[in-house]
Amino acid sequence: MVVATTEFIEAAEAQAKALGTDPACVFIPHPVQDRTDDELRAMADTHFDAIIAMLLKGN
Amino acid sequence: MTALLDPTSERSPTIRPRLGRPDRLEGLTVGIVDISKPRGDVFLDRLDARLQERGIATRRYMKPTMTRPAPLALRQQIGTEVQVVIQGLAD
Amino acid sequence: MDAPHDGLVAVVKRDCPTCELTAPVLAALARAAGLTVYTQDDPGFPAEIAARIHDADLNVSHRLRIEIVPTLIRFEGGQEIDRTYGWDRAEWERIAARPGLGDGLPAMRPGCGAKNVEPGILERLKVRHGETGIAARRIEIGSGEDEIEAMFDRGWSDGLPLVPPTEERVLRMLAGTGRDPQEVIGLVPSDLVPATVEKIAINAVMAGCKPEYLPVVLAAVEAVLAEPFAMHGVLATTMYVGPVVIVNGPIRRAIGMNARGNALGQGNRANATIGRALQLVIRNIGGGRPQEVDRATLGNPGKYTYCFAEDEENSCWEPLSVERGIAPGKSAVTVFAGFGLQGVVDQKSRDPDSLSRSFAESMKAMQNVKLAPSCDCIVVISPEHERTYRAAGWTKQQVYDAFYRLTEMDGDDLVAGAHGIAEGGPPSYAGRRIAKFRPGGLMIVRAGGGAGMFSGIIGGWSASGERGSAPVTREIRE
Repeated sequence: MVVATTEFIEAAEAQAKALGTDPACVFIPHPVQDRTDDELRAMADTHFDAIIAMLLKGN
Repeated sequence: MTALLDPTSERSPTIRPRLGRPDRLEGLTVGIVDISKPRGDVFLDRLDARLQERGIATRRYMKPTMTRPAPLALRQQIGTEVQVVIQGLAD
Repeated sequence: MDAPHDGLVAVVKRDCPTCELTAPVLAALARAAGLTVYTQDDPGFPAEIAARIHDADLNVSHRLRIEIVPTLIRFEGGQEIDRTYGWDRAEWERIAARPGLGDGLPAMRPGCGAKNVEPGILERLKVRHGETGIAARRIEIGSGEDEIEAMFDRGWSDGLPLVPPTEERVLRMLAGTGRDPQEVIGLVPSDLVPATVEKIAINAVMAGCKPEYLPVVLAAVEAVLAEPFAMHGVLATTMYVGPVVIVNGPIRRAIGMNARGNALGQGNRANATIGRALQLVIRNIGGGRPQEVDRATLGNPGKYTYCFAEDEENSCWEPLSVERGIAPGKSAVTVFAGFGLQGVVDQKSRDPDSLSRSFAESMKAMQNVKLAPSCDCIVVISPEHERTYRAAGWTKQQVYDAFYRLTEMDGDDLVAGAHGIAEGGPPSYAGRRIAKFRPGGLMIVRAGGGAGMFSGIIGGWSASGERGSAPVTREIRE
């Protein structure tokens, strides 16, 4: 699965359509470049369950 | 866009299905692929630590450059070493 | 709006002497009456008509169902009232309701074929206008996706690349038969899915068939779906077999099949793609795939394709199809659940008895020399071997009789454990003569190049005849 920022939502949809695939994606808020390390780690914690779920069957 | 006529019985959906996914991660190795964008490593380090806390094995990989798809040798290595893959951080 | 509510429409093309002939008539009509002129090819034609319209994409010609140019159509109240094609003064005057047309021209001149119905163009127009009558679901392949890879990814392939089944290709394929595209040929195992002519055509395109091969493919599908062939069993077995297709009759030459040198090998498009199309039908329509319903331990390379033509010309025997009840001169397919090719090398026999023993001893080893009765077989007799029988005046029946007789074995040799081999028959075999083949279990076919005293045996399925698969012959319908 792929973790991307919300900037990528449209691009991901277009690519999915072009390639006929439906890749598993989790989107985190954009931007990330100006976040502190603590903020990035907190975002990883927030989205951890969603990311794991995307790796498993039924999602 | 090309349209092809379906040669099958049409009993399954047309979108290519995702590859079969496991029921649980326990016992599997999770590959974490850094696509080489700045700051992605901090995010992925945290995911890695959380997975290991849960007793799930991980392996780390780095794409040589963010501008091109992963080279074949790397993809093949990942394919043989892990069962599921997290790629990030695309921004 | 292609046509006026009330008025005349003419469709012409420069590349047509009759259209050129009628240009002055059209000019006169344009001045006097309401006339719309569509040109199919050259936008500068006819020069006499200033307000001519170039039907460059031929959409108007298609919607007006033009087949011959020039065509003159009269509309009244928004409906077509009448039309004529070619140049016919009386008709043109009637439809235009104007006398005295075409002074100096001959009374009549035939028209030319319209551009919109040329081969290839007509299919494209039908696809564009959604008139193909195609029922199959469309699968969109994204612009970023490679078509060939996409077909592999969707599991449609036998392992080799496929020809993308676009709507145009499938339409051209369907033109190879007069049968209704929605006619159901049979139910394909293992999913028991109705195979329509159209679905079979899609797979025939993917296999690389030409449209003229389609009738053979349809007959082969019909034959394997016949109950006696037991297609589900043939598919699901752990044994080696897949359908082997033998073609008889005039169609062999019409479509350029190979019955001569390397007839069971590669290189001939009809042989290769007809057999392949049949396998793709089983795989894609029926859903039968290796390691799923197809449990074959080894399989055999013939499961990619196994189709050849019998060499009927100069043979002293009747073709296989005639032997199996098809009228002489008719084209037919025979399907057989078979595998591989066991060579029979005999470069010394000069008489039919010696040669028959060579064949028989080879046949005894089919599957296992200790197993009898074993499977059905096809004996492919090459021209040089057939010549030996011909010189001795042997009928095909005499050859069959010799084969059955010479392949009988002593039960003592076949009992399980005999000769240090655990495999074999029950103790009751002792003291008896046991036939290697069931009555009717052999089929003789003549094929191969003119040089080489090398024939072959195609093995069958253990479950042969009523308890398994029996060969089926079907006449080919165009």
